[in-house]
Amino acid sequence: MTDDSRKAAALPTWTATAASILNGCFGDYLNHRENGLAIDMAFYQRGSLQRLTPEGMRDACPAATRKLCVLLHGLCCHEGVWNFPGSPARTYGSSLQDDLGYTPFYLRYNTGLPIPVNGKALDVMLEDLFGAYPEPVDELVLIGHSMGGLVLRGACHYGAERDAAWVKSVSKAFYLGTPHEGAALEKFAHLVTSVLHAVPHPVTALVGDVVNQRSQGVKDLRHGAVINPADFTGAVPWLASAQHYLIAGTVTDDPEHLAAKLFGDGLVQPPQAADNVRLFPGLGHMDLAHDESVYGQIRSWCAST
Amino acid sequence: MELETLRKIRGAKDLVEEVIDAAALQIGEAQRVMTRKPYALLASVPPLATPVRAIEEAHLYTVDGVYFAIRLGNRLFGLIAGLVLDRLEAHARGKPPP
Repeated sequence: MTDDSRKAAALPTWTATAASILNGCFGDYLNHRENGLAIDMAFYQRGSLQRLTPEGMRDACPAATRKLCVLLHGLCCHEGVWNFPGSPARTYGSSLQDDLGYTPFYLRYNTGLPIPVNGKALDVMLEDLFGAYPEPVDELVLIGHSMGGLVLRGACHYGAERDAAWVKSVSKAFYLGTPHEGAALEKFAHLVTSVLHAVPHPVTALVGDVVNQRSQGVKDLRHGAVINPADFTGAVPWLASAQHYLIAGTVTDDPEHLAAKLFGDGLVQPPQAADNVRLFPGLGHMDLAHDESVYGQIRSWCAST
Repeated sequence: MELETLRKIRGAKDLVEEVIDAAALQIGEAQRVMTRKPYALLASVPPLATPVRAIEEAHLYTVDGVYFAIRLGNRLFGLIAGLVLDRLEAHARGKPPP
């Protein structure tokens, strides 16, 4: 494959981008209506669907290794979010493959569905992946950007609950700009709709209704809901057998700046400082998915035991 | 044209149709509520009440008629687009159109 054709093949089409945005905003409605634009959860490689059959796996992973990494995009995105600007064939997955021998898998899913629903679906997908993969898997690394981090946490919870085989292989989970404590923008949207509905005027009520049409996936970001509250009443769990790493950015180069404190990476507030937390000042929310310094940190953590 | 592409086009068609229908219904209802307010005020003056009620009724009929026409046109367009998509789908499957 020439470099040009590889680049072209690495880019999902504009229709895939439009569908992903639409799914993020109204994905639960599209799914409910069985609309043809609703995205079904699947792995994609260079813009093409990857079938989880032994034949499909052999074609997609001719050089399958015993180490896997699965990358999950965030709200309104698709796997193209991992492509480095100016070098679209390069992603954290392809770099980990070149540097440390991880075979990457890129998930595409309907980000408008409730996060717990996507977590359950991912649990099943990973089981299918392990079933179809041509090699025994020694290690699985999960990388989630934004909402993707919440989905992978949910999948780990549901997988651990039913003692799924794939969960035992998870060694590390990376959360890039993941709103574990909830996203400020959705909290604001919730406040706005409440105020609009409180005003006794048909037009404000109408605008409030329109804003309220946003998907359940978006609404789940308000509290960073990982699992269905009906399924579990305790604190939101972290998979005990894996190491968890949090990566965050700030809108300003100075992390102590008021704007950085208020807006975090533009959408998500940075977590409290800790050994497993790295802050990248000056990196916006979307940049976290394709940045050289972030990759360097992921690589370094992946290489460590 | 591929079946997957046609499935997405049908999805987009359905979505546009549903959005226009829901918007016409909601905006129509909001306009109805707002239309009634000045008439309610005028109708509180006893000598004006009867003619105001008649004008209000005519006005509301017009408002309802406009939104009904929008929804009807939308449904008709959706029906025609659906038939065209059925034919394209049949052609893509290599079967004779229904």
